[in-house]
Amino acid sequence: MSLDVVILFLEQGIVSGLVIGSIYALLALALVIIFKTSEVPNFAQGEFYMAGAYVALFLVVFENIPTVLALPVTLVVCFLGAALFQKFVLTRVWKAKGSPINLVIATLGLSYLLKGLVRNTGFGDSPRTFPSLVSTDSITIGQASLTYLDATIFCTAVAVMIALFLLFNFTQLGRALRALGMNPKAAQLVGINLSRMNMVVWGLSGAISAAAAILVAPKLLVSADMGHVVIMAFAAAIVGGFASLPGAVVGGFVIGIAENLVGLFVSSQAIAVAPFLAILIVLLIRPQGLLGGRVALKKV
Amino acid sequence: MNRTVPVLGSIAGLLVLLAVGAFSGGYQIYIANLLLVFIVLSLGLHVVIGEAGQFALAHAAFYGIGIYVAALTTNAWGLPFPLPILAAGLVAGLIGIGLGAVALRMRDIYLALATFAFGEAMQWVFSTWTGVTGGPNGLHISPTRVFGITILNDTAAYPLMAALTVLMVVIAVLLSRSRAGRSFRAVRESEVAAVAMGVPVRRTKIAAFAISAAFAGVAGGMFSIFSTYINPDSLGFQTTITVLTMVVVGGLGSIFGAVSGAILFGLASEFLRQAPSYQEIIYGGILMFFMMFAPRGFFSGIADRLEASRRG
Repeated sequence: MSLDVVILFLEQGIVSGLVIGSIYALLALALVIIFKTSEVPNFAQGEFYMAGAYVALFLVVFENIPTVLALPVTLVVCFLGAALFQKFVLTRVWKAKGSPINLVIATLGLSYLLKGLVRNTGFGDSPRTFPSLVSTDSITIGQASLTYLDATIFCTAVAVMIALFLLFNFTQLGRALRALGMNPKAAQLVGINLSRMNMVVWGLSGAISAAAAILVAPKLLVSADMGHVVIMAFAAAIVGGFASLPGAVVGGFVIGIAENLVGLFVSSQAIAVAPFLAILIVLLIRPQGLLGGRVALKKV
Repeated sequence: MNRTVPVLGSIAGLLVLLAVGAFSGGYQIYIANLLLVFIVLSLGLHVVIGEAGQFALAHAAFYGIGIYVAALTTNAWGLPFPLPILAAGLVAGLIGIGLGAVALRMRDIYLALATFAFGEAMQWVFSTWTGVTGGPNGLHISPTRVFGITILNDTAAYPLMAALTVLMVVIAVLLSRSRAGRSFRAVRESEVAAVAMGVPVRRTKIAAFAISAAFAGVAGGMFSIFSTYINPDSLGFQTTITVLTMVVVGGLGSIFGAVSGAILFGLASEFLRQAPSYQEIIYGGILMFFMMFAPRGFFSGIADRLEASRRG
């Protein structure tokens, strides 16, 4: 492989990696905000994302509702869906037997339920295309090429991340959520409504997943199995330490770029196993993640 | 739980095993064989999650390892029964020790994620290592030979399968009543308390992983007795979830629950095979329902009621 090709591959890999990585970063953020407050790895995250894509598809393609209206409605629907799941299912599971394993099994249950429901609606029988709102003409940066759609995905995703950053750092709600993540009991003592905050976190997570789905849907086919991509988000979250918001963002970009470079330099077959190897290696060598400060190990 | 329920349960189980062998044929006996495999798989998951409380999600991988080891030793060297099954259990158990040693560093969700990743990576190995596993095209499994007799169909395999299942259930019961079983439960309830009582937590956890993996490996070996073909598609996360559902429905932490959950849910999933979408809805719905309303499982719930009415 000549040097020119290597440089071209590197540039293309990094540019494409940043685009897809921004989606992974959003999904990883959605996982991490839930984990920070509820200590639950949400195995239904991928299906929140899939459901978001289907709600948008249903409104835009089948009901012909104008996009300006349809997309906010999608976000609200996903916010409410996730929040209600937390309120009516998870609270009850926690009361039945206060064990994190039971919560995880409940999210696994939800992921299968949503997949089956979507397949049964009649929209989920075969993969569908989602219309692109921006042009798919390509532009070149350096030697790498990407489409206007790619650029839009990246910019919007970064805007969502900035909005989240502002929310968590500079609003009353964000401070309450952070307090909940640090010490639920103390948070309750200073007057934070725990059950409402938990609902807000799950709702936010659902809305972020839906946003990621709407952004990336025109690039891929919408199908009942599209939630598989969440494994990349798990890898990103683990790379970032699973409890750190900046970590999740960096992890998303790292995984996105690594995926593209592996595809270009090694083989497309190796892409399939790369995220699992990344998870295993990071958990083995640095279980607290590359950026995580808090050590996740509890020595006996 | 008092002794009546397990004793009656075992007698009923043996009678059902004999009746199935005597009165059914063809498709029913195939389903019966499949259920026996699921019983052994459930027992394996019961050991690591139910007894030791380690949330491992790589069961399908060990099952697959067992199937491929048994199939390859049968195909290549024509090893007679029970050698392929022993090899399957041994190899899966050894890899389980490896995963257990790694898993010592993690708890709860990190463990779930790492074992999940391991399972997915193993499925990738099964479908990519074409030279050995046949890759996505699958692998033909030669018939097993037992003491000079070649097993050609499900009916011939059934007595052997039933005997192996009874053996594995007995091993699981003995294990649960042994010092090791008590150590597992001590670790599950509180690692700190277990250490204080002199339970070697590290060794205990590794043992739980290894035994669970060996059970799955044996289940894989059993599958290779009556099946002539294996494809990596059936060795993914879905299979782990199926077995997890069985154990949860039956009741986490009870052998009786694991066995009856496997039978009940194995039958249900066989009936639902024609409608994969309903299958997903029902699996998902059941997992959520049991976590919300009966976290100790269907059968434990009944046993508790019996117990309560006797005392009451």
